[in-house]
Amino acid sequence: MTLPFPFPREHNWPPFFTPQPNTTTRQDQLRKWSDLIQSWCRHHRQYRLSLIEAVESPLFFNATLRKRLDIREARAVVDWMTKSEEEGGGGRRAEWIPDAGGGLSSGVMGSAQGQGPRAVAWIWWKRPEEWADLLVEWVEGTGQRGSVLTVYELIQGEGTASQEFHGMDTDVMLRSLNVLVKRGKAQIFGGEGQEGVKFF
Amino acid sequence: MSRRGVGLGAFTNRTQTSQSYATHGANLRSTHTASLQTQLSVFQSLLHTFALEHSSTIKSDPTFRAEFARMCNTIGVDPLAASNIKGKNGRRGLGEGGSFWTQILGGDMNDFYFEVATRVVDLCRETRSENGGLIGVEECRKRVGKGKAIGSGLEVSDDDILRAVRSLEPLGSGFSIVNVGSKQYIRSVPKELNTDQATVLEAIQVLGFVSVSMLRLNLKWEKARAQTVIDDLLADGLVWVDAQGPEKEYWSPQNLLDDSG
Repeated sequence: MTLPFPFPREHNWPPFFTPQPNTTTRQDQLRKWSDLIQSWCRHHRQYRLSLIEAVESPLFFNATLRKRLDIREARAVVDWMTKSEEEGGGGRRAEWIPDAGGGLSSGVMGSAQGQGPRAVAWIWWKRPEEWADLLVEWVEGTGQRGSVLTVYELIQGEGTASQEFHGMDTDVMLRSLNVLVKRGKAQIFGGEGQEGVKFF
Repeated sequence: MSRRGVGLGAFTNRTQTSQSYATHGANLRSTHTASLQTQLSVFQSLLHTFALEHSSTIKSDPTFRAEFARMCNTIGVDPLAASNIKGKNGRRGLGEGGSFWTQILGGDMNDFYFEVATRVVDLCRETRSENGGLIGVEECRKRVGKGKAIGSGLEVSDDDILRAVRSLEPLGSGFSIVNVGSKQYIRSVPKELNTDQATVLEAIQVLGFVSVSMLRLNLKWEKARAQTVIDDLLADGLVWVDAQGPEKEYWSPQNLLDDSG
């Protein structure tokens, strides 16, 4: 099922891994890294990126060239991605997860045990608002307006198997649903882990 | 005639002779011009017929188009000469202005170069932050030929690209053709390369990348000179640096383009 990720040409080009001193060139480089990280995560259906793990992965380490994006540089790239375009950034395509734990478990650990701040980030190859739009489209397309669904159904149910949000990270799903709540298009109820949602 | 006239009458005679020579000369000249004009118009009409006959080939086959354009140039017909003045009005037909392409092939050909030029400008603008406004004609051709949307590929030759870039000149676009070594580039930033910069770019073409010590070794340059040229190229965004080796290496972003996107 997982085809090898098609790396772009620049990933096989040594200078891509060194921060460029020229500002214009640097912007171009950051944009290329941002695109690459997003398509990498999308390819692997990955919603959060742990930098410590990523610097050892083929994403940030090209074993053939023996060039790598070190953790400081990776952090600079993600920092750029978190900023809006008006701030000269990459259009909020990432967001640091404060005090994220060491592993993928959602248990909250202190930063001493975990990876500290700016260690794990959401990578928004689709932003929560964009996911929300997709959800609405699906709900309306399948005539389920007014019905009640569990969040588990939305993510794992057979009904959504063909949708891009199938198998999605629960936190991202809740973020996206909350966008709809704010828009007055959905209501979330039930306790943690048992959430249900009603679409209007 | 051979005997020289005597007395004042001889002067009149001589004037008459030279006058008749002059008349005869003028006659000859005009016949000559007339016959040349006939030849030229015959040739032009032949060229016209030829172009019409092969118009579809000219439109679809880049090599054929380039050869045809070269033929036009040889006889002093610049196919695009008038295109910037008249534009599409040339559709009205022969002899009413418009470029030569327009006259013989209809507006399509003008539109074709217009389309190519538009794509070249787009590509240059799009990649300027990557390559500092210098892009290989060959790379440009590959990308323009591909087009972004499905089915929008254009069959173009390097010659078409050059022609399109030249057709932009009257607009004061700042687009120009630059030769570095054996390669031709489109420069979309109105800034000239000095000799040292061109030399380094040529070295990168051959070697793939350069470092200060490579320049010192191969070109016998002082360290300061090599460093200055490289710093200038970096400042203009024409090279990228790789600082992860034992010595800094400088690469040209040209090969980033080849077949990506």
